[in-house]
Amino acid sequence: MFSRRDILKIGLASGAYGALGPGPRRRVFADNLPSSPRTTPFVVALPIAPIAQPTAAFATRADPGDCVNVDGSTAFHVHGPRVVPTNSQFFLIHEQARPHSFHPQLPANVIWGYNGMAPGPTFIARSGTPFLVRFVNDLPQNDPVGIGEPISAIHRHGGFQAEEDDGYPIDTFCTGQSRDYFYPNEPADGLVQNEESTLWYHDHAIDITGPNVYRGLAGFYLSFDAVDSIAGELDTNPQALRLPGRMVSLPSGEQFREFDVPIVIQDKLFDRNGFLVFDTFDHNGFLGDKFVLNGAIQPFFRVARRKYRFRFLNGSNARFYQLFLSNGQPFVAIATDDSLLEHPVTVKSFEIGPAERVEVVIDFTNTTLGQEIFLVNRLQQTDGRKPDGLVSPGTQLLKFIVDRDAADPSRVPDTLRPVTVGPQQLLPQVRVKRTFEFERSDGAWVINGEFFDENRIDAKPKRGTPEIWTLKSGGGWAHPVHVHLTDFFILSRNDSTPPVLERGRKDTVAIGGPDFGDVKILLPFPANFRAVPRPVTGRFVFHCHNIEHEDMRMMGQFDVQP
Amino acid sequence: MTPVATRLAGLLALVAAGCSGRPPEPPPTPPNVVATIREQQLPNIELVTHEGRRVRFYDDLVKGRVVAINFMFATCRNACPESTQHLVEVQHALGDRMGRDVTFLSISLDAERDTPEVLRGYAEAHGAGPGWYFLTGKHDDIELLRHKLGAYELDPVIDADRTQHTGLVILGNEPAGRWKAITALGKPVRIRQAIERTILPVTEWPTGAAVVNEVPYEENERGKEVVTADEVAKLLVRDP
Ligand SMILES: [Cu+2]
Repeated sequence: MFSRRDILKIGLASGAYGALGPGPRRRVFADNLPSSPRTTPFVVALPIAPIAQPTAAFATRADPGDCVNVDGSTAFHVHGPRVVPTNSQFFLIHEQARPHSFHPQLPANVIWGYNGMAPGPTFIARSGTPFLVRFVNDLPQNDPVGIGEPISAIHRHGGFQAEEDDGYPIDTFCTGQSRDYFYPNEPADGLVQNEESTLWYHDHAIDITGPNVYRGLAGFYLSFDAVDSIAGELDTNPQALRLPGRMVSLPSGEQFREFDVPIVIQDKLFDRNGFLVFDTFDHNGFLGDKFVLNGAIQPFFRVARRKYRFRFLNGSNARFYQLFLSNGQPFVAIATDDSLLEHPVTVKSFEIGPAERVEVVIDFTNTTLGQEIFLVNRLQQTDGRKPDGLVSPGTQLLKFIVDRDAADPSRVPDTLRPVTVGPQQLLPQVRVKRTFEFERSDGAWVINGEFFDENRIDAKPKRGTPEIWTLKSGGGWAHPVHVHLTDFFILSRNDSTPPVLERGRKDTVAIGGPDFGDVKILLPFPANFRAVPRPVTGRFVFHCHNIEHEDMRMMGQFDVQP
Repeated sequence: MTPVATRLAGLLALVAAGCSGRPPEPPPTPPNVVATIREQQLPNIELVTHEGRRVRFYDDLVKGRVVAINFMFATCRNACPESTQHLVEVQHALGDRMGRDVTFLSISLDAERDTPEVLRGYAEAHGAGPGWYFLTGKHDDIELLRHKLGAYELDPVIDADRTQHTGLVILGNEPAGRWKAITALGKPVRIRQAIERTILPVTEWPTGAAVVNEVPYEENERGKEVVTADEVAKLLVRDP
């Protein structure tokens, strides 16, 4: 029961780990993609994105002024004058092209990043304090690299936000334009169980999300509340969970979060000169052969002998990972996707598909100074269809170097986030079930036989009324399916009780192939926003998060009914 | 590690890499995306048009143009009729921009039977106008082109079934190095909009309401069922 996959058959990782690539990644015919040049692993420190800094309040603009078409028409979702609560904080984020070093042995690559960084600045939000974020598109119009288009919609993945703030894929804005996004930073329906944890924000523009995210448009958005607090391990509130993590002020005055480390894992491909490669002719799911953590290839991270919270995000376009520690030490999982678990779960490894998050505590207390421990991916994947299976020894992604002692006031309580409204309470209210079949059809992907159409509604759930969805996949393809607006409970996988790490709330779930199979989920569909009171209504998308599939229109939309 | 320390470490590593004692090499220059795609994805194979003209794929059909490419064959009865019908509608919607702003290339996967004469009949039957070429050539050349353009299946058994490759439109703005694909089986308006996005500079792309509402609103709750109390009760029992 360690993971979705039976790891016992293969045996635990042991012995020496080579810096093996992920194996062949070749098309039958058009095998013109290069292998990336060699890079020496573990020579760069794991970069940590800076915390997004609020700016002075500014007057919000109605979007017609920002996203006007040449013919005078406007964005699909147009919000009028903004009613922003007085305690809101304001942010200004510029999408920019900037040189970026993935590795000192490769030349600088011009990436597209939020504030020019990949990953973008990390938002640190506190439940009850809304954010108004203006994203400004400063991306170049005639970009010589040829990866991505300078048109944007921003989705706060896993977040509870209104339809016009959700990054609806057609609400795009171009170079020189901006769009304001209001993030209420409130739990869905005001339920404490729905307090958010690790979210991320990324580009969601129609048809070109894959190259835009690959080029760098992704960042973390961490949400805290009274018990999973920003004060973290130093919180004196007796109710506080005191999970590892605290804020520290640097001499520069800059705030920094210590012992609580977000890590986004992405795979990238480089040509023989070290320049980023993307294949816009491949629609199966793009795979790279270099593993990039927070923007650096195979970095190292110095740790103290104490507990750390790591928030892993799979920010890859199409690759699944299964992560182990080289010393056989377990992970204590505390959250999946946007939500803390009810109780921590100890696992030897965990699998993580595109867009999924898994938060774990790793306890380095019983290590020795100077010890080196590797984070290892043992899941092989050679094309966009699905992962092939576990291999040994796998690929080392990150080296932990134990180099000091540090006090550890943190703990991992037995109860993290109790669920008060779960399947027992929701199921008796269910009146509607839906089946969505994710299939390949004529060179692209469909849901129930249909490609995404901008003006077709595929489901009309009612606000505040739970539904059961059965997600199926044909043809042996794996699809990480993401539903906007509402997180969900997994009722069953292949008609069986879901594995331990899938018994909490999720916003993305892998389906299909022999490993993932069919999945039945229970979606609560929230009823009300509270920071700015209004009912939850309108259009939201659900889609495959293998972004190449998504861009080939494996997407549907639901219109929440009043 | 603090962010400052992290950046410092990165900087030091960079410095170390730059001081390894080897003579300095000129820094590599980023690839030219247009040239890379031309060399790697656009084989300059020989083809024959439905008018019997011998042409080269890159030199005569793609270079300097915006193209919409699909694979088809005259006797195909799966997705082809619908794909072709959609492209016919797009051709009409594009009006005089056909041949001027965009060129359609329909490439036969049945080189043996689809002679230029057969393709001319097919083009005439569907009312294909100026700027739309139906093309045939050597089987192996066209197979190479099909794979290069991404119209292939990973499963070799499915890949061998040529009816599987007729549902895509590959869109390219060759001089800009911008290529993507869209399904030919979506609504023709969506194909036209995608073609316009390939032609136009990005600041002129229609967004939002203009895109959504060009097709009439539609609802299709396929897959919806009413759930019975019995079924819910069973799920409740199974709930761990
Ligand atoms: Cu998919």
